[in-house]
This record gives sequence, C-alpha cells and structure tokens, in this order.
Amino acid sequence: MEEKRNEVERASKKIAIAASMLLFSSHRLPGVRGWELRRRLGKDYLKIIDALNNKLNSIGLRVKIMFDQPSGEHPAQDDFDKARFFITLSEPLTVADIVAAGWSIEDVAILAAVLSYIFTKGGKATEKELMELLEVKFPRWKVEAAIERFIRKGYLTRIEDNMIKVGWRTLAEVDEKELLKAITDITPSQPKEDNKENI
Amino acid sequence: MSHERRTVNREELERIIALCESIEKRGLDPFSVNVKELLMKLRRILEEQKDLEIIILDAETLYKIAVLISLQQKWLKERASSLFIDSQLVSLKITSAEPKQLAAALARSWRPIVRAEQLTPYRVRQGMEYFLMLPPRDRAYEKLPTAQEEALRILKGAEYAKDVVLEDEVRKMHERCIMAAGSDGEVDYWSIVSADTFEETVWRAYVLSFVISEGLADIKKNPLTGEIKVVPYPSKRTREKVAAFVISLKSGEVPKALGREKE
Repeated sequence: MEEKRNEVERASKKIAIAASMLLFSSHRLPGVRGWELRRRLGKDYLKIIDALNNKLNSIGLRVKIMFDQPSGEHPAQDDFDKARFFITLSEPLTVADIVAAGWSIEDVAILAAVLSYIFTKGGKATEKELMELLEVKFPRWKVEAAIERFIRKGYLTRIEDNMIKVGWRTLAEVDEKELLKAITDITPSQPKEDNKENI
Repeated sequence: MSHERRTVNREELERIIALCESIEKRGLDPFSVNVKELLMKLRRILEEQKDLEIIILDAETLYKIAVLISLQQKWLKERASSLFIDSQLVSLKITSAEPKQLAAALARSWRPIVRAEQLTPYRVRQGMEYFLMLPPRDRAYEKLPTAQEEALRILKGAEYAKDVVLEDEVRKMHERCIMAAGSDGEVDYWSIVSADTFEETVWRAYVLSFVISEGLADIKKNPLTGEIKVVPYPSKRTREKVAAFVISLKSGEVPKALGREKE
C-alpha cells in the first residue's frame, strides 16, 4: 500500500517536472526535444507526457509533438527523441480572444492570407507573388512590416531567391487543412443596404 | 566550326539545367516544360559531341530532368488528392474577403503555443540551490565596498587619491601661472612644476596638464635649447590643433634649478 502511494507520488512529481519543462524553457524556441525529456524523466517519458496531456485537456491545453521528418502512423522511439514537444491550446480561439491578446485584425488577416496561399503553392511562394496578392487589400508598407514580423516570430521563413515558406511555428500551431477549408468557406460579404441606396 | 558548335551545345545544356533548377526552387508547374523535347535535345547533343566536358554536362542535365519528372509525379499526387485546393481559388477568396473574415479563418485553425515567460517556483529553488553551492571567488572580494565614498576612503588610505577638489587645484595653478608669467607672457615649465618632494612635483605636473588640456594655457618647447615654456591665457581658448606632449619625470632628476629663483 505504502509502495503504491510512493509510486503515485513519484509519478505526480514527474508530471509536474514535465509541465515545468514544457511551459518554461530557456531556449530561444519554446518547447523541449524528446531526448531532453528522456534524460530528465526516464525512458518512460512518453507515458508521463500522456498523463500530463490528460491533465492538461481538462483546462483546454494539450501536448503537441512536432516531428522533424513527417513520420508514418507509428513513429519510432528515435523519432520521438528527436521531436519537439510543446503545449498548445486544445481549442481554437475566437477573433475577440486574439484581439484581446494584442494582435491586430489586419495582422491576423495578412497571416491567414499568406499561409493559405503558401499552402496551396506546395509550401513556398515568392515574396513578389505575396505582395501582389495582398497589395489589393492592404498598404504595401503594412504587408512588408507584417511579413518581417512573422518571419521574426517563426511563422514564416525566408529562403533563397526571395522565396517565403512556412516556418516552424506555423507547423506547430496552424492546422493546414482546417485553414484551407475555412478560407474556401468564406462567402463574399454583401454590400450594406445604405451603401446601395447611396449608389 | 566544331569549337563553335561545342560552345552552342554547352550553352544549351546549361540553359536546360537552369530551367530545371528554377522550376524546382520556385515551385512552378513542372508540366510547363516538355520533358520529351528536352530528352531529344540531350540525345542530339550527345551524338554530335562526345568529349568529356559535354558528357559530364549531359549527365548533370539528365539528373536535373529526372528531378523534374519526380516533381511532376509529386505535383500530380497533390492535385489528385481530394484535399487539393487550387491557389487561384484561394487568391480569389482572399481578394474578395474582408480582413475580419480572413482573421476568423485563421482563428478556426490556430492553436497557439502556451509558454511561461516567468520563472516557476521550482526553477527559482533550483537557481537558489545552485547559487548557494557556488564557492566564493576570493575572500577579499567579500569585503569590497559598493558605496562610492567607501571606495574613495580605501583609495585615500592606500594614498592613491588626495582629499582635494581637482577643479580648485586647476584654478589655483592657472592663477599661479599668470602671476609667474608676468609681463613676459610665459614661464618656465620646471619653475612652475618643481617642488621639494618628488610626489609634490608629480602632483603639480598632473594639475598643470589639466590647465593646458582645458585651454587655459599652452606649452612650447624650444627644439635647440630643450627649454619648455608655459604660456598662460587669461581666459579659456579653443585649440585649433590637438597634440600630445610628453614630459618624463624621474625621482631624483627633477631640474629644480630652472627658474626656481624666479618663484
């Protein structure tokens, strides 16, 4: 009985350590690699992460695992060791929540447009193409500044020949299929009644 | 003729390589190139020229065309998938949508990373344990004062600083120079600087250097006699040229005789 209690205590302590490692990291990039978790929590670290995930689910969070290479249905232990572990929200935010967190609607709209366009172009597009697409809706300086900001935050990456591709943060945070579906579901808004009257 | 033909063939091969590379890098439609035609060209060039350079270039071109074919396969696979959405369609949707609609679309698919920007109690405890574990670097450092006055007191105790205000000393030295110069307008350097003790001589030379640096006096050296003269000014002057003037001073070798009587 005593042994069992000790076992539970040990597991709880390990879950707490895992939570602190995932939430607070001193690296430039958030999250930790699988091998770091293994070194701190032992070889059964995936079970600890699973238990942590169950606990986090109740408060709207989840552990997200990002593999270096796209793995099949059953990733190997080595894939998990090399993968990066994060904690993300389990449910999407509302636009009001995003604005309350300090983002401007226009910045989020630019990010949505850039990401969806890049996704449909096979993961990369030229900066010129993106400018031409967004200049119709936003001032050029605003688009340029936003793209630079998203590159700094890791949502986008600039590669050779002024090509832009999705960054690590996009892969960790954005659901590609869901975004493309949401974009194609958009129906053009109808002009307001009073505008019609004016015309 | 053969040389010209060879140059033309080489340029043609290089053009094909560049074309394949640009499609690969820019993610353009790989079906925009007629692969069959490229392979025919390759065969023709290989039949015409069979020297080593062309064969190597030909092999490289063939590799690039193979990469292009693999891109075609990938492209077809993507297009055939039920989830494929054309970029033209997305562009149209983006241009017709309101910024708020676009933001809402991203919000639906976005689950941001949660990260603590502050220390947890666990990490603070860890840091504290580490700090306490560190051995002191040196016992002497433990007693190092932090306050400026305390530091000055130690310096004075070690005779590295005098209990005087330098500005006052500079003003007094300037007045002394003017008095000593009198109507000549200049005074011998050593007559101003020389004192009974070596320490006092060094101190005077130190203060006089500030008088000169401040523009309240100038210093001249006669290259023939080696005489050094101080020319005091009644008020501060802006110096046109900035120069460094070195006077060495050794204990026991202070030329006290020079102009001491005048003082």
